Amino acid sequence: MTADVRAAGAPAPARPDPARGTRRSRRREQRPAWEEPPTVVGETAKGISLTVVVLLVLFPLYTVLVTSLSTQGAVNRAGGLVVVPDGLTLQAYRYMFSGGTVTRSIVVGLGVTLVGTVISLAVSVLCAYGLSRKGSFGHRTLLLTLLVTMFFNGGIIPTFVVVASLFHGYGQYWALILPSAVSVFNILIMRAFYLGTAADLIDAARLDGAGDWRILWSVVLPTSRAVTAVMGLFYGVGYWNNWFNVLLFMPADNEKWPVQYVLYQYVSQGASIPGVGTNMTGAAVAATQVSKLSLQMAMLVVTLIPVLVVYPFVQRHFVKGMLTGAIKG
Amino acid sequence: MGSDSAALDRRSFLRATLLGAGAAAVGTPLLASCSSSSTANGKANSTAGLKATLPDYVPLTAGPKPDLPIVTGAAGASVDPGYLSYPTDLVATVAKVPGSGGTYTAITPLWGPIPAAGNPYYQAVNKALGASLTMKPASGNDYAQTVPTLVAGGKLPEWLQIPTWWNGNLNVGELVTSKFADLTPYLAGAKIRAYPNLAAIPTGGWQAGAWNDRLYGIPSFTSGSNFAAILYYRKDLFEAKGIDPASVKDADSLLALGKELTSASSNVWAFDVVWLMIQQMFGVPPTGNAVTLTDGKAASAFDAPQLEAALEYAYKVAKSGYVHPDALANNTSQGKQRFYSGHVLVTADGPGAWNGPDAIEGRTANAPYVRGAFPVFAHDGGTPTIPLGNSAALMSYLNKSLSDAQIKECLALADYLAAPFGSKEYTLVNYGVEGTDWTRGATGPTYTTQGTKEANQQTYQFLVSGQNAVTNPGYDDVTKAKYAWTADAAKHAYQPAFWNLNVNTPARFASTSTATQVNDIIKEVTYGTKTVAEFKAAAANWKSSGGQALIDWYQKSVVDTAASGTGK
Amino acid sequence: MTVPGTLLPPRGRWRRRPRVPGPSWRVKLRRDRSLLLMTVPALALVVAFNYLPMFGTVTAFQYYDYITGFLASPWAGLDNFSTLFADPTFWRAFENTLVLSLVQLVLYFPVPIALALLLNSVLSTKVRATIQAITYLPHFFGWVVVVTLFQEMLGGAGVLNHTLRQQGLSPWNIMANPDTFKYLVTAQAVWKEAGWGIIVFLAAIAAIDPSLYESAAVDGASRWGRMWHITLPGMRGVIVLLLVLRLGNALSIGFEQFLIQRYAVGSSSAEVLDTYAYYYGVVGNNYGLGAAAGLFKGVVSLVLILGANKLAHLFGEDGLYRSER
Repeated sequence: MTADVRAAGAPAPARPDPARGTRRSRRREQRPAWEEPPTVVGETAKGISLTVVVLLVLFPLYTVLVTSLSTQGAVNRAGGLVVVPDGLTLQAYRYMFSGGTVTRSIVVGLGVTLVGTVISLAVSVLCAYGLSRKGSFGHRTLLLTLLVTMFFNGGIIPTFVVVASLFHGYGQYWALILPSAVSVFNILIMRAFYLGTAADLIDAARLDGAGDWRILWSVVLPTSRAVTAVMGLFYGVGYWNNWFNVLLFMPADNEKWPVQYVLYQYVSQGASIPGVGTNMTGAAVAATQVSKLSLQMAMLVVTLIPVLVVYPFVQRHFVKGMLTGAIKG
Repeated sequence: MGSDSAALDRRSFLRATLLGAGAAAVGTPLLASCSSSSTANGKANSTAGLKATLPDYVPLTAGPKPDLPIVTGAAGASVDPGYLSYPTDLVATVAKVPGSGGTYTAITPLWGPIPAAGNPYYQAVNKALGASLTMKPASGNDYAQTVPTLVAGGKLPEWLQIPTWWNGNLNVGELVTSKFADLTPYLAGAKIRAYPNLAAIPTGGWQAGAWNDRLYGIPSFTSGSNFAAILYYRKDLFEAKGIDPASVKDADSLLALGKELTSASSNVWAFDVVWLMIQQMFGVPPTGNAVTLTDGKAASAFDAPQLEAALEYAYKVAKSGYVHPDALANNTSQGKQRFYSGHVLVTADGPGAWNGPDAIEGRTANAPYVRGAFPVFAHDGGTPTIPLGNSAALMSYLNKSLSDAQIKECLALADYLAAPFGSKEYTLVNYGVEGTDWTRGATGPTYTTQGTKEANQQTYQFLVSGQNAVTNPGYDDVTKAKYAWTADAAKHAYQPAFWNLNVNTPARFASTSTATQVNDIIKEVTYGTKTVAEFKAAAANWKSSGGQALIDWYQKSVVDTAASGTGK
Repeated sequence: MTVPGTLLPPRGRWRRRPRVPGPSWRVKLRRDRSLLLMTVPALALVVAFNYLPMFGTVTAFQYYDYITGFLASPWAGLDNFSTLFADPTFWRAFENTLVLSLVQLVLYFPVPIALALLLNSVLSTKVRATIQAITYLPHFFGWVVVVTLFQEMLGGAGVLNHTLRQQGLSPWNIMANPDTFKYLVTAQAVWKEAGWGIIVFLAAIAAIDPSLYESAAVDGASRWGRMWHITLPGMRGVIVLLLVLRLGNALSIGFEQFLIQRYAVGSSSAEVLDTYAYYYGVVGNNYGLGAAAGLFKGVVSLVLILGANKLAHLFGEDGLYRSER
């Protein structure tokens, strides 16, 4: 990207006031006084590159949307993804949501995601802070212990045996949460933030005699909201998207399935089964008058909506200066 | 970038959507099943042994007479009966309620949206069955991963279905003989007459589920014409262009047709990937378990001269420019759409693709859409031949832990579920309750909205079902066309090596008989990304690193004892 | 420049501290007991769900049969490994994996950073947030959809080639060309993941004290100067950390993405370690071999990440961790 990049802090509020939070900074979208005025060349270059980037993503998104809204005939005429709309219908969405299976699975999915994210965040924040003091007892051993799990895993069957036979998790909701609750990757990133940004604050607090729990609660957490928000997003998305654990631990308990797994069924619908001459396959497809591809695209669109809804809340925490209020030069 | 919060993720896992359902098995899945056993010596079914255990075949006299009757072809092939209308008087084939209140769980694969648990349709069927048979369909695409985890975790249900194209990958022979019930004492010979509907299932279906000369599997959709592939073409477009399919009589004329049909600038290509058909054209012995019969002796399937000739031709086709680029890129999931849109004019697909729903879908794109099938032909214009597939590809098994009384009850339930087309039981299982799930329309039962959600999917039918029947309400032209084609093809059928024969290969040959490397290279040659020379090198390599030992074992343990087709 | 509020302490700061003998381990244990307690939940989960299943790696030394189970499957010793190392396809897969990782490192890794910097300079929050949200959506597409979309646009029968043919030009073979495959997959990865990768960097940029920019501007630094001397150094710690982690994950590159396109370009170009383990392990009915490949991959990855970490130390960064006394 060779755009003219302004490294300055926009949109920092004209009067920096972190205590007031984000609303002020959103309303005052002004350049700070010390910043150079934008040049025509700079702005144009920036505009062009951003437009290109956005179009590269928007065009395929548009294709996805149009295909999800296309009639069976339109998809079959196009021979695949539909670029030029050729007959629109809401049938794909209607079919997905009728019968209550999808609606119920959305509730299950939300539940698993919320509970899982809270658990994961709590566990990760604790662990990241616990490992953020260099030279603490067992520091390196613990770190390596966590690191190793990023590269070695026993495989599907051993994990299944441990969760299902040892811990009796077969068909239980917690099997969708606990086995993947810890992401070492996320912990490492959080740890890096704690080691860096808040290091001085923490040292100061320690010198003041505060205990580690107190430091975590009153110093680290308030100042690392951006990181926590980001990690919450990562974990949340991970839980929302994960259907693999469903496959392993409740492959046939369909009333307990979260939405991703239910939607995934539509992708395999109507597959022609080798070696089976029966003509009953495909009856379901025709009855819905919806193309399998439309269902797949509709499923994708439905998946995207929660993400788009949640993101603004996370993005709010990316305001500059949130981490610095307390540091005096 | 981004997190990997799942300790396991998809990379350590089979994602079969893109590979197509069931294509996880290597080689042609239909023909001959083979499996491994941890016993040092494996075993194959033998003529004498099977003779003692196979159940009697007692065709039903009750039930509607097919409009298009069963016709026997060559080598034991037979055309499935066709029905042009649904009977109004529903005959009951089961006199009393089969169950006695037992509780069972059944797991089957399903390629489609799973119906809600405990829905009214399930309840109605269970009431008629007189037992609580809880159906738990699992995703078909991931089924090959589900089964091993169930086994390893000790969570096998009472009734489990395993498609036979995974017999090799999942070591089904060993699995079944160690964990599932031997049904020979209940079904052998005349004993099956206690279950009239099961007795009406052709013997081939039972043979396809027999291991070590004992009966284990209960078959679904038994058919005498499970051909691997049919070469389809857009009949309406051919007629518009004035092309006569009979003009394609050999490999060269097929290629010439490709040239005539392809016009890349107008987005039309002649072919999808037609390897299944090319194999048939050249009479290639199945490579599913790597060993075949040449002149009555066990030999490497990869050494067969027909295979090399077929691969040369397939490579030529792939490089010719007459194959749709998306097909060459292995985009199988949109193969049908390419056919419907007319971007591809000739495709090779299973017989299951030719049915009423296909006509419905095709006509939504273009009203004149008609699917046609080339008559069988040989690569050199000589006598056409078509290999017969195994009689049944879907098998279910009963858990070994079931008691004698429970097995008998399950078999009685199976008897109910295997009721023939047009009977009262068949209607309940396939369509649901009249009024709530279906209403009688002009062409027969038509699903209501509720019925589409609950009763439309293949659930009980995948546990056990009777003789396959061909019926396409509202599209009798499809039924008639398919029947006519099958009747003609059946005349040219032959039994390939080890047809309908389950071989329990010893564990030490497990990966040798799967021969992944060679089969993968074969596939790549058909896509034009590897040469025939590389295939031959791989075949030689296979033979020298364990393949010859497998061949010797086959000669000793299978060929000299077994009952099977003599190949070609 | 000792600048408070940046992500990690600038280089050299720790080196200047004199080495004094530290507290004894008993004192440390007492001092750090709350910290240790905090790590317990995560450790418990990791032990239960990562380490316990690791007994499954024993299948790399067995002729594993899932029906007879772990305890009863025959022992293979190092047989699986010798088969593995004797297989030229395996080494081809290994080579492909390394080459692809390198290409992606050079061509993909800088993109989210550049994008983050670009977006950061947009004045309006609304525009920024909207663009961000749009660019990260492809992260949620499965690889099947991404490859299908690419095929639709760039494939042999796709929009681009259709237009070319209609203009009388010869079509470009983008999706099925084994020689350019590595660039194709990198382009796919960029399209899919760059937007998502921005998020961490934006959080890092947000952590930079804005008064630094002000002081720098007052001191006469231009836009580029501020970016070079303040923003990038502020992000440096995170960049290095992610680089180290990425190197550690280098051998796990792709799976679904390559599986889908395997037959389009041929396995010589599209085989990576994970697809190899899948095809010859799972599909090939040889779990032991697949497990051996996985074990090999794990060991090499661990070596890689530790090595990368050491390399980071050489550049004065803490990287993943730096051992203190």
